[in-house]
Amino acid sequence: MRTFNIVLLSIWVGVIIFASHTIGQQAYDWLPIAAAAEAEPVGHLFSFLVTLGTIVFLGVMGVLVYSVLFYRARDTSDAPAIRGNLKLEITWTVIPILLVTWIAIYSYNIYQRMNTLGALPLAHLHFVEAPAYAEVGNNNMQRAEQIEVIAKQWSWSFHYPSRNITSTELHLPVNQPVRLMLQSEDVVHGFYVPNFRIKQDIIPNQTIEFKFTPSRIGQYQLHDSQFSGTYFALMEASVYVDAPERYSQWLAETATRPPVPAANPAKSEHIQPPAMPLRSNWHTVPPAQPPLINK
Amino acid sequence: MTNISVESTDDPPKLNPMSWKRYFSFSTDHKVIGVQYLVTAFLFFLIGGLFAMIVRAELLTPQLDVVDRSLYNGLFTMHGTVMIFLWIFPANVGLANYLVPLMIGARETAFPVLNAIAFWLIPVIGVLLLFSFFLPSGTAQAGWWSYPPVSIQNPSGHMINGEFIWLLAITISGISSIMGAVNLVTTIFQMRAPGMSFFRMPVYVWTTLSAQLLQLFCLPALTGAAVMLLFDLTFGTDFFSPFKQGDPVIYQHLFWFYSHPAVYVMALPAFGVFSEVIPAFARKPLFGYKTVAVSSLLIAGISMLVWVHHMFASATPNWMRVLFMVTSMLVSVPTGIKVFAWTATVWRGKLHFQTPMLFALGGVAMFLFAGITGVMLASLPFDIHVNNTYFVVGHFHYVVFNTVTMAIYAGIYYWFPKITGRMYSEGWGKLHFWLTFIGANLNFFPMHPIGLQGMVRRISSYDPQYTGWNVVASLGAFLLGMSTLPFIANVVSSWLRGRKASNNPWNATGLEWTTTSPPAIENFEEIPTVTSEPYGYGESHRLAVDPLSHLS
Amino acid sequence: MESPTRSGSMLKRDNLTFGFPVFLLSESIIFVSFFATYALLRWKNSNWFPAGVSGLDIHGAAISTLILVCSSIVIYFAERSLDRHKLVRFRRLWLLTAALGVIFLIRQAIEWHNMPFGLDAGLAGATFYLLTGFHGLHIFTGVVLLLYMYFRSLTPGNYNLGHRGVSSVSLFWHFVDVIWIVLFVLLYVW
Ligand code: HEM
Ligand SMILES: [Cu+2]
Repeated sequence: MRTFNIVLLSIWVGVIIFASHTIGQQAYDWLPIAAAAEAEPVGHLFSFLVTLGTIVFLGVMGVLVYSVLFYRARDTSDAPAIRGNLKLEITWTVIPILLVTWIAIYSYNIYQRMNTLGALPLAHLHFVEAPAYAEVGNNNMQRAEQIEVIAKQWSWSFHYPSRNITSTELHLPVNQPVRLMLQSEDVVHGFYVPNFRIKQDIIPNQTIEFKFTPSRIGQYQLHDSQFSGTYFALMEASVYVDAPERYSQWLAETATRPPVPAANPAKSEHIQPPAMPLRSNWHTVPPAQPPLINK
Repeated sequence: MTNISVESTDDPPKLNPMSWKRYFSFSTDHKVIGVQYLVTAFLFFLIGGLFAMIVRAELLTPQLDVVDRSLYNGLFTMHGTVMIFLWIFPANVGLANYLVPLMIGARETAFPVLNAIAFWLIPVIGVLLLFSFFLPSGTAQAGWWSYPPVSIQNPSGHMINGEFIWLLAITISGISSIMGAVNLVTTIFQMRAPGMSFFRMPVYVWTTLSAQLLQLFCLPALTGAAVMLLFDLTFGTDFFSPFKQGDPVIYQHLFWFYSHPAVYVMALPAFGVFSEVIPAFARKPLFGYKTVAVSSLLIAGISMLVWVHHMFASATPNWMRVLFMVTSMLVSVPTGIKVFAWTATVWRGKLHFQTPMLFALGGVAMFLFAGITGVMLASLPFDIHVNNTYFVVGHFHYVVFNTVTMAIYAGIYYWFPKITGRMYSEGWGKLHFWLTFIGANLNFFPMHPIGLQGMVRRISSYDPQYTGWNVVASLGAFLLGMSTLPFIANVVSSWLRGRKASNNPWNATGLEWTTTSPPAIENFEEIPTVTSEPYGYGESHRLAVDPLSHLS
Repeated sequence: MESPTRSGSMLKRDNLTFGFPVFLLSESIIFVSFFATYALLRWKNSNWFPAGVSGLDIHGAAISTLILVCSSIVIYFAERSLDRHKLVRFRRLWLLTAALGVIFLIRQAIEWHNMPFGLDAGLAGATFYLLTGFHGLHIFTGVVLLLYMYFRSLTPGNYNLGHRGVSSVSLFWHFVDVIWIVLFVLLYVW
C-alpha cells in the first residue's frame, strides 16, 4: 500500500512537472513579439516564473481538490486533532525562501543584462549613484543614436538633434543601441512599447536617459503608461524599427520638409467632443499645443 | 476570577435595547456598530459596483461609446476609492468590531464612544464623495493614487473641486481608521478574558491586530501626503510641483509607504476569516496555529518595507529597485505559510460544504493564484513590462475581490446565525457562491492575458486587438453584479424570517459560540475563563458543543 | 491583581493609559512624513529661501524652545505634586504650564506676523508654515486640554480613582515638546 502511494505520488509529481514545463514554454506566446534585445531575457524570465508558478499552483490545488473530492464528511463527528507538524512547517518556510531567493537572483541577473539605464537621473537628487555593474556594449555607446522624446498632454514628439528634425513618429534603426532622452512638459507620463517589454516613467522637469536596442524590423505602438489626465487613452505614437538604409533615408527625407503643427487626436476630440449617452460636461485640461513637426 | 456585576450605564436607555431602531442610533455597543459598519459598507459596495459596471460597459468595445472621457476617469477613480475606503476597510472593521470582543471574552471594546464616532464618519465620507459628482469640476479624476501633478491641475479653477473633496474624504477616512485602530488594538491588548493569552487567541484576532497596527503606523503617512497635496492644490504651495522646487516622486513614496501596507490591511482579516471557517468545516484544528498566528505579524512587518515595488518604473534608482525586489519576494514567505496551513487543515479533514466553506475554499484557491502573480510582479524585469497594465489590475482584483471580498462573504455567512439569531438559506447561499466564483474568474482572469499583451490600465478606449478578452471580462462583471441579488434576498428574508439559530450552529470552537445567538447586550452572562488553545476540534475539552448543529 | 472589572469606568481609564500612547505613536508618523518630505526637499534644493532672505530667526526660536522645555519640566513637577496629593501646588504648576504654552503660541503668532515671506513663497514658505502651523495646532490643543483638566481638578474627589487623564495630557505635552525640538533642529538650525 505504501509503495503504491509513493508510486502514485511520483506520477503526480511527474505530471505536475511536465505540465508546468509545457505551460512555461507556452508562456513565450503570451507576450507580444519581442522587438528589442532587452525583450528577449524578459521572455525567458517570464517563462521561468510561469513554470515555477504552475508547479506551486498545481501542487497546492492538487491537495485542495483531492481533499474536496475524497475527504467529504459522512457524519458530524470531528476529524483527528492534528495540530501541526514542525518538520512540515519548517519545510514550507524554507522551500519558499529558497525559491524566492532563486527568483530574485535570476531576476537580478536579467535586470543587469537589460541595463536600460532608466533610473539614472535620480543622481540629480544626490542619491547614491546607481549602476555599479559593467555596461553591456559599452563600446557601442558612441554609435548610440540619441533622440529626445517629449511628452505632453497629450502628444508624443521625437526630436533628432543630429538632423534637427522633429516627428510624431519614432523611427529607430534596427540592431543599433538607441538612447532616448525622456522629457515631460507637464505631468508624469510613461514610455511603454509592449514589444520592447520595457517602460519608464517620465518625470516632468527631468531628463531621463533610457537605452535599449531594437532588434526586429516592424511597426509598433508606443503607449503612455502613466495616467496623464482626460485624453490619456489617445496618447499613442507609432514606432518604426527600420533597416539602417531606410532609417537614413527617412531622416534625410524628413529633414527636407518644413515644420508644421502636427495633427492631434486629443485636440480634435477636445474641440469636437463625440456625443455620448452619458455626458458629464466636467471641466477638463485643454490639450497642449501640438508639436511642430517636419512633415 | 468571576465577573463583577456590570454597573448600568450612566443614562437610562431610551429605547428597547434590542429594537431594530438601535441600528440607526449613535450606539456604543460594539455589536451594533459592527452591523452598522457591515451594512453601510455593503451599500457602498453596491455603489462602487455600479461604477465598475459602467466602466466595464465602456470597455465592451474598443471605441469610446458610453461615457465621455472625464466621466470615465471619474468613475474608475471613484470605483477604486469607494471599494477600498468605503467597502473593504469598513466591512473588515465592522466584522472585527463585532467579533473581536466576543472572541477574546470581553463585554465591550476599549473606547466605545470613539468607536461610534469612527463609524459615523464613514457615511460622511461617502456623502462627500458622491456629492462631488454634482460639482461643475466633477469628481476627482486622477485615479486612487492621485499622483501629482495630474491630480492638482484643477481645470475648473474652483476651490471646491472634485480633487479637494477627495483629499478631504481621504483625510477623514484616515481619522476614522486611526480611531478605529486605537480602539481595536487597545481592546485586544487590554480586555482579554482571564486565561486568554496571546497564543490562545483565534487567528482572526491576530490578523486584526496586525492589520490595525499597520493602520496605526503607516496610514498617517498618507494623511500627511494628502495634507500637502491639498496645500498644493488649494493654497498654491509647491511641495510636489516639479517645475518649482518640489518633487512629485516624494508623493509617490509617501503614498505607497501607506498603500502597500493598506493591501495587507485588507487582506489580513480575510486570512483571519479563512483561519476560522476552514477548521470549523473541516472539523480539524487549524494546522500549525502558532506559525499561522505569528506569520500575521511577520507579514505586517515585512509589508512596511516593500512599497517601492509599485514604483519600479518610476524615477527609482537601481539600488532601490533591486533592494525592494528582494523584500517584496520575502513577503510571500509568511503569506505562503498561511496558504499551506489552510491546505494542510483540509487534508484528511471531514469536510462540510456549507456556504461559508465554499467561499473560504474558493477564496484560498484564488488567493493562491494572486500570490503567484504577486511574486511575478515582484520580479523587477518582468514588472517593468507589466507595470501599469491590466496584468496588475488582474493581480490585485484576484486579491481584493476574489480573496478579500469572498472572505467577507464567508464571514458574513459563517457568523450570520450569531449576529441575527437566524439561519440563512443554504440554497440561495450556494447559488450566490457559484455566481460570484464564476463571475469573478470571468471578470478578472482575462485581465492577465491582455495585460501581458500590453494593454495599459486606466484607458477609456483601446486597441481592437484586446477586444475578445475585454468582452469576457465585461460579461463576468455583469454576472458579478447579478450575483449580489441572491445574497441580498437571502440576507433580508433570513434576517426577517429565517429559522431560529442555536447558539452554536456550526458546532464550532471559539468564545463567540458560547454565548446566545444573538449575544445579549454585554455579550456574556459570565466572563469565561480560557484554558486551552483555540480550534480544539477533535479534542475532548471542546468549548461549547451544541447538539442542534446545522452541519449535515 | 486582575483588573477588578471588565467594564465600567475604572477599566476605561486603564485603557487610556494604554491607548493614548498608541495614538501618539501613530500621530507622530504624520510629523515624520512632513519632516521626511521637508528634509528631502531641502537636501535637493540649494536655493532654499526666497531672494533677500538668508534664514529664519534662530534666536527667537531658541527662546521658544527654552520655554517649551521649561514647560515640560513644570508639568512633570505638576504631575508629581498630584501624586503626592498636593492639589493646590498641582493646580498652580499646571496653570503655569498652560501659560508657558500660551506664551509660546503668542511668540509663534508674532513670528508668523513678521515673516518676510508667505505660504506661497516657494518651499521655504510652504514647509515653514505647514510644520510650525501643524505643530502650533498641537500646542493649542494641548493648552485646551490643560485648561480642561484644570477645571476638572476643581471638582471635589476628582482624583479618587487616580489621574490617568492628567497623565495623558502631560504625556501629550511632552510629545509636542519633543516634536518641537526635532522641528527646531530641522527648520531653524539646519
Ligand atoms: C504574495 C505576496 C504579494 C506580492 C509579492 C505582491 C506584489 C505586488 C507588486 C510588485 C505590485 C505592483 C505591481 C505594479 O504596480 O507594477 C502589486 C500590486 C498590488 N497588489 Fe500585490 N502582491 C502580493 C500580494 C497582495 C495582497 C495580499 C494584496 C491584498 C489586497 C495585494 C494587493 C495589491 C494591490 C491592490 C496592488 C495594486 C495597487 C494599484 O496599483 O492600484 N497584493 N503587488
Ligand atoms: Cu504592494
